[in-house]
Amino acid sequence: MVVNTKEVAEKDMNVKRSSDEENRELSYKDEICVGCGICENICPVDAIELGDTGAIIRTDADVSKITIDEDKCVLCGMCSVACPADALDFKIDDESIIEMDEYPHLIKSAEIDDDTCVFCKACETACPREAITIARNLPERSKLVTGEIEIDKDTCISCGICEEMCPADAIVMEHHSPTSVDPTVSADIEVDKEKCVYCLICRKSCPVDAIKAVCRSCSYGDYDLKPEDAETEGSSFIDEEACINCGWCEEICPVDAAAVKKSFKGELNIDQDKCTVCGACVDICPCNVLSFPQPSESGDIPEKVFKDEKFCIYCGACEKVCPVEAIDVKRTDVDYTPTKSSSWKSKMESLKS
Amino acid sequence: MTAVELIREGLSQKEVAKILEMDRSTVSHYLNGRNLSWNSIEVAEIITKFCPKDFLTLTYALLNNSEKTRIIVKTCSKKKFQAEIEESCIGCGLCADTCLMNAIVLDDLKAHIDSNWCNGCLMCSDVCPTNSIKILEVENGS
Repeated sequence: MVVNTKEVAEKDMNVKRSSDEENRELSYKDEICVGCGICENICPVDAIELGDTGAIIRTDADVSKITIDEDKCVLCGMCSVACPADALDFKIDDESIIEMDEYPHLIKSAEIDDDTCVFCKACETACPREAITIARNLPERSKLVTGEIEIDKDTCISCGICEEMCPADAIVMEHHSPTSVDPTVSADIEVDKEKCVYCLICRKSCPVDAIKAVCRSCSYGDYDLKPEDAETEGSSFIDEEACINCGWCEEICPVDAAAVKKSFKGELNIDQDKCTVCGACVDICPCNVLSFPQPSESGDIPEKVFKDEKFCIYCGACEKVCPVEAIDVKRTDVDYTPTKSSSWKSKMESLKS
Repeated sequence: MTAVELIREGLSQKEVAKILEMDRSTVSHYLNGRNLSWNSIEVAEIITKFCPKDFLTLTYALLNNSEKTRIIVKTCSKKKFQAEIEESCIGCGLCADTCLMNAIVLDDLKAHIDSNWCNGCLMCSDVCPTNSIKILEVENGS
């Protein structure tokens, strides 16, 4: 008799079946799960049940969004193939079926071309899943300006005005209280040439004209400065586990360095009359598609829930969570890699609604 | 009894002894009718006439060795079966894991049953979640 085993670790779980032939293992990570319930729909043996996602998400309850009945699960792997968030991973003999060509896979990706990227970090800020990290090395400030500066220490009265005024904190004085031996208020004054941007504010504000400074950036910049020194270098990283391929990065990128492929096409419709403005959909949407609009002027009554459909992945989590069935998510197209199995093909097609 | 059948199939005593993991002289004694317990032969004969599932599971329970079980059941079963897998198969592999005869392999997310090894126990179709396995008895062996 072949028996499945289940391991539960906090909200995650693993279902396993071992035999002489092969070891099959389905792992679920609750942190990645978006609560869309596609796994529940595609499971051929009704082994997966979507929990009360609205309550779970809004109360941060210590419950998994889905439960897998290990007695019903036959470890076919369909749920993992259909999961738009890759929260379910299915392995045969320790190899994920994502690597296996005979299984179909949803075609989805998100990429940032580092050669085009200007490392502005807009995508990092916009990403609703915090999946993007942009690491950047800024150019050295001293290599972007050119000029000369000198302080005549004999003329300087150590008033500290230049130190206070310097926007680049490039002037440092050694303040001390005067004594009979040394009746000055500062032992020394120095300009840090690495920090100075030759803005000349010190020179202009010096009450005794002790500072000689000139900025050459405009007149001699072409000779003194190298354009390559002004470049910001960096690299982008997308955490594939967290990425949901919503397209925010692609939309917000000012230089078209981000490209996102989505596996589902469809329609998202909200019945504003039915909506009770409970906000469950806004809370569960993994793509920040839904929001409550602010009235543009006083007295104006905006629609109850606003949708920005270009970021929608048509996972249907909002439809499932809506307590009054005000949301309808239709999937009209599912993009997946070919498979020879007709049962798998029809299951993948069944994702269309 | 398996030994008798195997000899009939043209194997040598040595080969038979090796397959059944028996002493060669024991095989020889049996085949020549010495030291035979007719009661046990009778019991063995009754067992082979059980329904295929009971024959297979009882043999496996007695021997606790899947290789020997496969050989004995294959040799002593007179019935022939033909297996058909329907397109609804999802390739979950439950049948392959269940089959004591190791007659099932998965290919392109579909099960394939080697009819030569199938003894018609129907355990695979019992576990199949999509009801995709049809086993037909094509020769009843009598």
